[in-house]
Amino acid sequence: MSRLDGLADPPVLYVDGAVMDYLAIEAVSALRASSAVAAARATKIEREMAQAGFVPPPPVPKPHDNRDSVGSNTARPHSYVDEEDEAIRSRLEAIGLHVGANYAEKLCRDRALFSDSLDAVKFICKELWVSCWDKQVDNLRTNHRGVFVLQDNTFKPLTRISSWEGRAETLKRAKLAAALPAGIIRGALSRMGLHGTVIPEVTAPPHCTFQIKLPKNA
Amino acid sequence: MATPSKQYKAIGEDLWKSRTEKVNAELFALTYGALVVQLIQDYEDYGEVNKQLEKMGYNIGTRLIEDFLARSSVGRCSDFREVGEVVAKVGFKSFLNITPTVTHPPPTSRPTSVQRQTSVPNSSFTLTLDENPLAEFVELPEEALEGGLWFSNVLCGVLRGALEMVQMQVQVEFLSDVLRGDETTELRVTLLKYLEEEVPMGDE
Repeated sequence: MSRLDGLADPPVLYVDGAVMDYLAIEAVSALRASSAVAAARATKIEREMAQAGFVPPPPVPKPHDNRDSVGSNTARPHSYVDEEDEAIRSRLEAIGLHVGANYAEKLCRDRALFSDSLDAVKFICKELWVSCWDKQVDNLRTNHRGVFVLQDNTFKPLTRISSWEGRAETLKRAKLAAALPAGIIRGALSRMGLHGTVIPEVTAPPHCTFQIKLPKNA
Repeated sequence: MATPSKQYKAIGEDLWKSRTEKVNAELFALTYGALVVQLIQDYEDYGEVNKQLEKMGYNIGTRLIEDFLARSSVGRCSDFREVGEVVAKVGFKSFLNITPTVTHPPPTSRPTSVQRQTSVPNSSFTLTLDENPLAEFVELPEEALEGGLWFSNVLCGVLRGALEMVQMQVQVEFLSDVLRGDETTELRVTLLKYLEEEVPMGDE
């Protein structure tokens, strides 16, 4: 019987933690370069279409708006940097969505269906967090109307973020580092049938909170 | 006398066991896979993606080697053959928990399609990966196959970056990949030259 268990439950394989850390760090640089290429291509197409008269010419760059950085009080010098960071952030979140959805599916394989959204979020706070980041969430709050706030006082991806360039730069990196995990949480929830948003907030790394907004009917 | 390969195997296994921070390989594979997809979407050019993966690997490799030297007690390798043994049995084992097979080509040179400018004889080895943690759940679409994508090209960069930091300039390339329908996944590492450390003028 135990041999069959071995087939049904393949051994969990691991890689060294450092490898994952380095990949995450270099992924940001790689995505910075690739998103610039993609943006340049989009701009070129837009200009060509404008020249050919298919679309009106592109508008003058808008002044900075706060949409992409929740809870940030750091003043940004100009909106270009925000667009660049936003492009990277959204790509990291997209990667997280893919990872979270597939990974959660495996983790949930042998357990019963979730009774409600609170049950699902608790699973995220315990099983998913432990499996990805070696500990459970430190605090979970909810308004019982679809909003949950998860708090981790020593969030693993943020424990080694630092920058000699000072606090503002450190915060910028920390926000980007939280984008992939936010995507993982969002992806996991969506694979469980709960489609909402996950917004990370980092003001004092490695302390981090994630605000989950789910539809109320769950 | 060079350290026998069985000892390297033991060193690799000990290092792996002593690592405190391990990450689920699936998480790693999923992350890398999604990253490759994103790069393909951004560059729309498989050749360019190969290059960027290699570049990313190079940056990772230059950091990884320091980690490796700090945690392992492996001394300087006496020749390039030994480098191959250490890379396969200690390097790959302690970071990815796999042990590729190392093969060294016979001393007589075979005609190759690419001119290899190397000043050092017997200076290449081939790694055959029976398992590839990066490619766990991956199937390449027709387009990627035709476009010439080397999915795990990051590994080439890692080896190039790491070995450059220990004074070896190498060329690393995939010879085959099971993801492309080949029988095996093989990497060839060729030594181009040793990088001399700067010697002050007047020294002999």
